[in-house]
Amino acid sequence: MIQRREFIKKSLTLAVGAAVGATLSGCGEPSTEPHTPISFTPGKPLPWVNWAGNHACTPRLRHAPTTEDEVASILKNSTGIVRPVGASHSFSAVVPTDDTFITTDLLKGLVGHNPDTLEAELMAGTRMHAVGAMLESVGQALPNMPDMNYPSMGGAIATSVHATGTELGSMSSYVTGLTLATPSGDLIDCDREKNSEIFQAARTSIGALGVVTKMRLQNQQPFELTEFGSMANTEEVLEDWDRLCEQYRHYEILPIPYSSLSLSVGTRLAKPGDKSSGEDDPQAVHMLRNVYESVAWMPGIGQYAYDKILNLAATDAGVDTVRTGKSFEVFPHARIVRFREMEYTVPAEVGAQCLREILATIEKKRLPLFFPLEYRVVKGDDAWLSMFHQRDGAAISVHQYGDLDYKAPFAEIEPIFWKYGGRPHWGKIHTLDNRQLAELYPHWNDFQEVRRELDPSGKMLNSHLKTLFGA
Amino acid sequence: MLIVANSAAQQMTQRQTELFANNCIQCHAFEESGAPNIGDVKAWEHRAAKGEEVLLRHVIEGFQGMPPLGYCSACNEEDFRAMVKAIAGLPLLNPGEVK
Repeated sequence: MIQRREFIKKSLTLAVGAAVGATLSGCGEPSTEPHTPISFTPGKPLPWVNWAGNHACTPRLRHAPTTEDEVASILKNSTGIVRPVGASHSFSAVVPTDDTFITTDLLKGLVGHNPDTLEAELMAGTRMHAVGAMLESVGQALPNMPDMNYPSMGGAIATSVHATGTELGSMSSYVTGLTLATPSGDLIDCDREKNSEIFQAARTSIGALGVVTKMRLQNQQPFELTEFGSMANTEEVLEDWDRLCEQYRHYEILPIPYSSLSLSVGTRLAKPGDKSSGEDDPQAVHMLRNVYESVAWMPGIGQYAYDKILNLAATDAGVDTVRTGKSFEVFPHARIVRFREMEYTVPAEVGAQCLREILATIEKKRLPLFFPLEYRVVKGDDAWLSMFHQRDGAAISVHQYGDLDYKAPFAEIEPIFWKYGGRPHWGKIHTLDNRQLAELYPHWNDFQEVRRELDPSGKMLNSHLKTLFGA
Repeated sequence: MLIVANSAAQQMTQRQTELFANNCIQCHAFEESGAPNIGDVKAWEHRAAKGEEVLLRHVIEGFQGMPPLGYCSACNEEDFRAMVKAIAGLPLLNPGEVK
C-alpha cells in the first residue's frame, strides 16, 4: 500500500515517458469544468445551477425564510410548483422549477440538546460543515458523516445521504424526530410514536411531502478518528473485505477502471501516538486522467500499458497517507474537481459481484470512464424510501468528469445495477420511474398514500418528482 | 481556518454575513480547500484585475473549483456582489477599467 499522491505523480512520469512522440496533451491538468448550462447577465433574473452543472432553472420566486412559520406560510400561499433547496449538491433533478424556491440557507442552527440521550435538534438548513463544531460544543458528535460536508442536513436526509461502515446507517437512520411544514401550511411534529407514518415517510422524502424544517438526531459522545489512505489491489481487497471491515470502523475503496488497483481508505478510532502524514490531493483525479490519456491511444496495448504503469508506480512509491483528528475534521475531504455521478445500492452480499461486473463491462465495451469508482457499505434501516430499507447495502458509484458525456456510458452501466436489485441514490443520476421504483421498495404505496394526503394537488412535484411518483 | 476582516466584509448586512458564514467560508477560509482565501492578496491580485462583473459571473455560473452560486441558493445579485468584495478584499475594477 502506497501514498496516493506519490503514486499518481510516479504514474504520470511513467505515462509521459511512455507517450513520447504522441500528439496527446500528456502534461498539464486538463479542464474537467462542465459547460455551464445557463448563463448569467447582471441585472437579469438569477439562474440556479447545481454543483455538477447538469441541471439549471430560473425560479420566479426565491424565498429565504428564517423561521418555521415563515416556511409554512410560503407553502400555504404559493401557487405553481414549490421546491426546497439546500446546498444544491444533488446530481439528480430534485430541485429545478421555474416557479418557487424555498431556500433553507437561513433556517440554520442548533435548537436544543439532551445530554442524557445524546440527542440534538438542528434546523434543516444547517450545513454539514457547521454541524461538527456545533455538536462538539454540547458534548456530542454525529456517529458518521459523508466524505464531503457541503450538503445541508435537510438535503442529506431527503436523499438518504450516507458514508461507509458495516455497523453504521445513512444520515436518515439517525433521525429520531422531525418537524415537517406541509404544502397546506401546517407544521407537523413526528417521531416513532407521534405521527409515525409521516415520520417513516419524511425521514427520506426527496422533498415530496413539504419542507422538513428541523430534525432531532441520535448522536454520540465526541470521538477522534485516524484515516489511512493507500493503494491496493482491488481483487485482493474484495477477497479480504470482511476482515477489512472488521479492522476499520469505516472502510471503502475507489477502484480505478482499466487497472487492477484501487484507492483504499480505512478509518478507525484514533489511538495515542497516531500522527498525520502525507497529503490529501483533491486534484489527483486530474493527473490520473492525464496518465490514461497519455497511453490509451496506443493501438492494442493502451489498456495494458495503463495498468502496467499504475502497478509499477504502486510498487515504487512511498507510504500511506494518514489523517488523524476530531471525527468531523477527518470524515470530509475537499472536492474541487467537478464530476457527474450515478450511484445504486445493491444488497451487500452481491456488492462485490456487481462491482466486478461493472469493471469488466467498462473494459469490455471500452467505455470512456476512467474516473475512480467508489464502493462502500451501509447498515440497513427502516425509513420507507431509504436505499438501505430493510437490507444492508453496498453502494457503488460511477463517476464521469464534468466536461465529458455521462449519459451514454452511464446507460451501459445502469442495467447492471438493475440486475442486482439496485436502488438508485435519490440525489444522483438514474433513469428509473414510478413503476420500476415501486418494485424496489416494500413501503412504496404507503409513502404514496402519505404523499397524496399531504400534497393532493402535487404542489411539491417538479418534472423529475412527477416521474418518480407517477403523478 | 483563516478569517481576515476587511472594510468590504464590515459593510455586509446581517443577512449577507449569515449567508457568507453558511456558504463562502467553508472553502475560502481553509487553505486545504484549494480556494483562494479571504485576505490572501497574492491569490486575489490577478483575479481582482478581471473586474467585478467577471468575478460575479464566475461565482454565479461556476468556474473551475468554484461551485455555481457558491452553494448559496438564497443569495441575490446584491448579496453576491457584497460577498465577492469581502472575499477578494481588494478594490474590484468596473468594466471600463479592466486591465
